[in-house]
Amino acid sequence: MKKDKKNTEIKKSKDTVVLKIDDVNYRYADAKKDEYVLRNINFEFETGKIYAIRGKSGSGKTTLLSLISGLENKYEGKIYYKDKELKKMNLDNYRSNDIGIVFQSYNLLPHLNAIENIILSMDVSKVKVKDKKGKAIELMESVGLDRNLGKRRVLRLSGGEQQRVAIARSLSYNPDLILADEPTGNLDKDTENDIMNIFKDLAHKDNKCVIIVTHSQNVCDQVDIVYELKKTSK
Amino acid sequence: MYILKNAWKNITRNKGRNILIGIIIIVISAACAVTLAIRSSANSIVKAYENKNPITASISMDRKNLMQELMGDNKSQEDMINTFNEIEVLTEEQIITFGTSDYLSSYYYTYSLGVNAKDIQEATDSLVKETTTTTTETTNKTFRPQNMPQGGPGGFPDGGSYSTSTSKKTTTKKTEKIYNEKAQNGAFTLYGYNKYEDMKDFINGNYTIIEGNISDDFNSKNCIISEELATLNELKVGDTITIVDTNNEKNTYEFTITGIYKENTDDAKDTTTMFTNSANKIITNVNAIKEILTNNENLTPNIDPVFIIKDKESVEKFEAEVKEKGLSDYYKVSNNLEDIENATKSITNVKVFATTFLIITLVIGGVVLAVINMINIRERKYEIGVLRTIGMKKYKLALQFMLELLIVCLVSLGIGAGVGAYASVPVANNLLASEIKNNTEENDNIKGNFGIRDFEKDFDFGVAKVDEVDNINAVVDIKVLGELLGLGILLTLVSSLASMIAISRFSPLNILKERS
Repeated sequence: MKKDKKNTEIKKSKDTVVLKIDDVNYRYADAKKDEYVLRNINFEFETGKIYAIRGKSGSGKTTLLSLISGLENKYEGKIYYKDKELKKMNLDNYRSNDIGIVFQSYNLLPHLNAIENIILSMDVSKVKVKDKKGKAIELMESVGLDRNLGKRRVLRLSGGEQQRVAIARSLSYNPDLILADEPTGNLDKDTENDIMNIFKDLAHKDNKCVIIVTHSQNVCDQVDIVYELKKTSK
Repeated sequence: MYILKNAWKNITRNKGRNILIGIIIIVISAACAVTLAIRSSANSIVKAYENKNPITASISMDRKNLMQELMGDNKSQEDMINTFNEIEVLTEEQIITFGTSDYLSSYYYTYSLGVNAKDIQEATDSLVKETTTTTTETTNKTFRPQNMPQGGPGGFPDGGSYSTSTSKKTTTKKTEKIYNEKAQNGAFTLYGYNKYEDMKDFINGNYTIIEGNISDDFNSKNCIISEELATLNELKVGDTITIVDTNNEKNTYEFTITGIYKENTDDAKDTTTMFTNSANKIITNVNAIKEILTNNENLTPNIDPVFIIKDKESVEKFEAEVKEKGLSDYYKVSNNLEDIENATKSITNVKVFATTFLIITLVIGGVVLAVINMINIRERKYEIGVLRTIGMKKYKLALQFMLELLIVCLVSLGIGAGVGAYASVPVANNLLASEIKNNTEENDNIKGNFGIRDFEKDFDFGVAKVDEVDNINAVVDIKVLGELLGLGILLTLVSSLASMIAISRFSPLNILKERS
């Protein structure tokens, strides 16, 4: 594990730490007793910053993201979200209200259009918005999407457009923490830069904590802090 | 609310899949609607029949027991007579005791007493008796022709004479009127009831009043008489008749006619007899008969109790209770349950068939729907993964899937019920027609065994008498729709169960990994 601080001037306080990983070890259910994917992970993530978790294939980047996102909770150690231990939280509520997840393969619902995908996310989180459709269009525009694309089935959108819809969806209930798993993995470099600009704005302008799992150097170059994961040895 | 909205979107945007599920449910629901309609109609018919012909029990002499007692132990004739005389007659008090039972919905009893009547003629076929007398008169005549030879060939053996014999038959028809042939036991029978509710023949429509009415005064000496008796004796409402004690002619009682009744039973349509069985039945009240009995202790009335039993299950319990309450072993309790079951056998068979068909349809339908649901869930694994990832709770996801199926199910049930309603009547009537045909053939075969070739004649022989209930008008009514809805929801829940379990076991992480 290697911590690469780029912005040394950022002041760290208890209030700004949104997520803390405290001595986390993880092995797959079917793995041997001491065959850990993640061993002794200790990270802290603060609001207003953009992080990258880098590592080679098999280093456990995506696994770590799934632990942070509450999709997997059978791990050793503790993960805190705003000082609350994740294992003691309702993980469905955590995913629907506190964090936004963006995937490499977008994970949008194909039978719905872009606006409907965003509204569904608002519905699940029970966020109180009077004009959900208006808010969805606003979010689309905030990530650089034309409002006319809103009524188009997501499968008819390009990869970059789908990823922007996915980002808009993750922002629909205004979470403090954005988790992105290889968000630019399927995109060209220009689009990658566009997406990264959105993330940077979210962190620096909207004071959100953005964590990106990636092995793209371009992405790593644009984030505030890079955590590197290395393959564990037995 | 968003779950419903989402479910609706999924239905409208996955038409192919939902139309397939819909077609299956339409077939299942149409089959269910037909069977439910048949069942419901069959139930109504059986219930209506049972209401009209309730399960009744009566008490009568147990001849088998009595004969065993009389014939046993090589008893002398005198002993037999003594034993017979020792048998106690069923009393009114006993009947009231037996009638006070939780197994009965009601009971009643009638008094009947043979009486004579002054100046009125009973209705009987032997009223006009025709006697045919045939007499034969024989006349012998002897001839002797003058020119005929005597003896020898061609001659007359007795010297030329011969005789002839002529017989003449005379038939005399003699018509004589026989009055009061049954005077010994009474030419008429007085029937006494306690209240209107006991007069089941009038309630069932076997008898109807055609003139006047039945008096609500069950204490006075009033009566109603048959149409035949009224016509024969030119009696009308308001007239009085004089009833005469069969043992003592001096005891006479004036009864006022308040009404004239007509019998409507099949017996009344019998053209082989001139009068109906009820022709000489004078209907009055129990108190009026009791007054006659008070004046002559030698008169013994028949007290016939009829116990209306609550349900089939109570039949044996009531019989046991009556024995417990002290009914003599010489008496037995008999009931009409078998007759009722025989009369409704065809309908019951159709109902059993419908029920079996319904169960099979539901089981097969349930399995098919469950399999389709499972396939559906596997196809939509990705969607489940995405929704779980964005925080949708498992139960809400399961509810959404169930709602989708329920909406498709309800729409299809509506169509299926319509198809079922259209098909149920001909299907039901065809089934019944086939059942009736089988029963009729069975009955005819038995008639054949008795050498009875005239199949027009109506004999029962214990085979279901189907003409009582020969048509099922199957209707998909509110009750059937309710049952159908209940079954639809049950089927949806059961067939969704497997998918619900699958949803609860799916790991969104694994689903998304597989997808990637």
